Amino acid sequence: MTLLFPTLAEPQQFSVAERLLFAGLAVASAYAFWRRFGVVLDKILKSKKDASFHLFPIGKRVRDFVWEVVFQAKVIRQRPAAGLAHAFVFWAFCAFVLVTLNHCAGALGFGFLDPAGTIGRFYFWFAAAFALACAVGILGLFVRRFFIRPKWLGEKLSWESGVIALLIFVLMATFLASFFVNGAGTAVRILWWVHTLALLTFLPIVPHTKHLHLLLSPFTVFLSRGSFSQIPPLSGDEDFGLVAGTDLTRLVSLQAYSCVECGRCTEHCPAANTGKLLNPKTIVLGLRAYLNDLGPASQEPLLGKYNSQQAAFQCTTCGACEFQCPVGIEHVPILVGLRRGAVNTGAWEDDYGSKLFLALERGSNALGLNPAERDKFIEKQKLPLFDGTQEYCLWLGCMGGYDPKGREIVADFARIMSFLGTSYGVLRKEKCTGDPVRRLGNDLLFQQLAEANLEALAQNKVKKIVTICPHCVRTIQEDWKEYGTPPEIEHHSEFLARYADRLPRVQNQEKIAFHDPCYLGRYRNVYEQPRRVAALAGEVVEAPRNRERSFCCGAGGGLTFLGEETGERVSQVRAAELAATGAQTIAAACPFCNSMFRDALAARGEGAPQLLDIAQLAARGLPRPDAS
Amino acid sequence: MKIIVAIKQVPDRDSPVHIDAAGKWIEESDLQYAMNESDAHALEEALQLRDQHGGEAIVLSAGPERVGSTIREALAKGADRAIHIVCDDLGARDALGVARLLAAAAKQENPDLILTGLQSEDLGLGQTGVIVAELLGLPHATLILHVEKTGTGIEVKRELEEGWFQTIELPTPAVLTIQSGGNKLRYATLLGIKRAKTKEVRQLAAADLAVDAAPVAVLEEIGLPKKQKSTQMLAGTAKEAATALVEKLKFEVRVL
Repeated sequence: MTLLFPTLAEPQQFSVAERLLFAGLAVASAYAFWRRFGVVLDKILKSKKDASFHLFPIGKRVRDFVWEVVFQAKVIRQRPAAGLAHAFVFWAFCAFVLVTLNHCAGALGFGFLDPAGTIGRFYFWFAAAFALACAVGILGLFVRRFFIRPKWLGEKLSWESGVIALLIFVLMATFLASFFVNGAGTAVRILWWVHTLALLTFLPIVPHTKHLHLLLSPFTVFLSRGSFSQIPPLSGDEDFGLVAGTDLTRLVSLQAYSCVECGRCTEHCPAANTGKLLNPKTIVLGLRAYLNDLGPASQEPLLGKYNSQQAAFQCTTCGACEFQCPVGIEHVPILVGLRRGAVNTGAWEDDYGSKLFLALERGSNALGLNPAERDKFIEKQKLPLFDGTQEYCLWLGCMGGYDPKGREIVADFARIMSFLGTSYGVLRKEKCTGDPVRRLGNDLLFQQLAEANLEALAQNKVKKIVTICPHCVRTIQEDWKEYGTPPEIEHHSEFLARYADRLPRVQNQEKIAFHDPCYLGRYRNVYEQPRRVAALAGEVVEAPRNRERSFCCGAGGGLTFLGEETGERVSQVRAAELAATGAQTIAAACPFCNSMFRDALAARGEGAPQLLDIAQLAARGLPRPDAS
Repeated sequence: MKIIVAIKQVPDRDSPVHIDAAGKWIEESDLQYAMNESDAHALEEALQLRDQHGGEAIVLSAGPERVGSTIREALAKGADRAIHIVCDDLGARDALGVARLLAAAAKQENPDLILTGLQSEDLGLGQTGVIVAELLGLPHATLILHVEKTGTGIEVKRELEEGWFQTIELPTPAVLTIQSGGNKLRYATLLGIKRAKTKEVRQLAAADLAVDAAPVAVLEEIGLPKKQKSTQMLAGTAKEAATALVEKLKFEVRVL
């Protein structure tokens, strides 16, 4: 019976010397902990307040907390093996809160869990199950870090991780071993002291290393900005974005100190994967080093010694890093914040960037073309003008209005709308939504564009917008909110999916690889609709990286307008991956992805799959336009 | 260096152009306005000289209230202060009339250099800057791409025909008309706009400058250019056609 259901053994009594030694060590450990943790806390609390932060609505925060922290769902889902091992360690830590409190209280004669009592027995057994899983888990993580060595964890072996793993293993092993020793012997005393020493060594190591995440990240996850890639409004006349230490907000500082250096952001970053300087992890650690060395009151520029301006402008804002981050770091607002700091003060000098800004300061579209070209397209395509009577305003966007391929997509989508009998019209005048300048950090220009467009839409009494461009959707729906109330908007994939049953299917076996655009997938959570639309024309196959793990085309964040001059081209890497599915057709749902792949596939030469938008696929089954 | 940049606000390139009922000017009601492009390059040249050698860059512009937006844009890009000659009858004055206003205002400042664009995008006369120089009795040079300060004055790079350039030296004070594209324009920033709010804009009434407003040249009639499309087919093999195309792009269109 005792062998099958052993009881946890505890030293029966402690001498005064032992108690004094324990108390002394505990105080020393707590002091060493606080000496560092207090500093970190001070740096976070002395950072600027987040003016736009609201705790409410709190429901989503609680849900995210339970899902991501308590259940460790994101950690497990995105890296199942390592994630599960981590989850076991985390859950064991939670279970061990009571065990550890009882352990320390016991030394001072205040133990509250009796190993022989019903509750105590049950709880120690409960904890033992977790301890076993944790011991296995931490061993697994140790083997992964020191023997398998995934490159995302960095070139350098982290000795501190080894020490932490050893301490955790010792904590679990000594606890488990205590079930199998006699309560009166020396063995139990040795186990007790080894457990105690491991615990008191562990505590001060935490705030000195990335293991700080186990204290901070629950708060970081709970206190996120509230939605994916949310760029906070500038506050006051002296806020130009993240220029210097004084611009770091509490959320940014908290996030910088929460980074656990797991490298998931790096693993999924299109820039880091194609030989660019940018590595999202380095950006976050750069901010942490800045805070450590200079603190949140410093006027020293954030871009310079600690972070590279060049790197900040290599971000496509695809959001893969932010989506992956298990500790709640919001990389995109940080990167855009750094760009805002550089652009709003004029510190960023880039020929392509200036060209884009100047084109939009004077003109209406990011391509720098004469708006008469858009008028000609509307006339040639016989697109009806929006007059307030139609249901939808068909927003063309720069690509839909000026890019030859974008125009083909608009033309086919318009045909489908007519076929379905949906009334629509296009605006006589339309300006760029400001997406590229917003992501590049030009707040002045973005405000001008957003306000001009909002006014035009209000004048035309537009209630509902549909567009082929996910960047327009995102910018109109979310980013314009800073300057007014935008009309309802949806992406054409959502519209088309709703009417998919009424659209004629094409019976063939064509394999279609669908590429999830970042601004439709991660930014809008739309994954199924475009697949349903593409399936009208054949069989949809998946690229290895799909849905929320989709790999960027390289266009976002205004980068399509800048020169991508170092490393491999992001678009070519992704196009190769899509072509390798063996699909005859690559389906895109974003005119920017489309233009990137158009060039990348052309570079692959003969035999490359054809490239079509989902609207073009959906239009295949329609009666020919010239058929009478 | 104290530099005055004379800037004109012109109808935006992208604005629809309609001729008004009298046939003498375009409908101004639905026009949008912008800074004349070569003036923007003149401003950039002035800002670079100011940044390099110190001193100040002063914006000078004549026109009705709406010109204020272009003045603010120039201040936001970095000009130190501005002078706005308020007059609602700019269209009724000829190049001489406008130059008289600009020269009178500029004279009060005693600048080392007066820069302006080589011509305006609306009328394209290309005379105003040169007349200002004549009225003030200053040396001038036109079609300038680059300005360098020397010990005694300035050295400028002029654009000539057929891809030729000329470098000449001038004493200061002088007047230069700047060609588009000689420098890279800077973009407007939020910081600039906010700083611009505190910069001085001195308004002068055109009447107070006491200059002769009577035009010596009068605009009789304006018209839209006739749309002409002439497609030329280049015959021969691909290689011959490509060679012919390169020739045309180089010497007729002059874009290569």
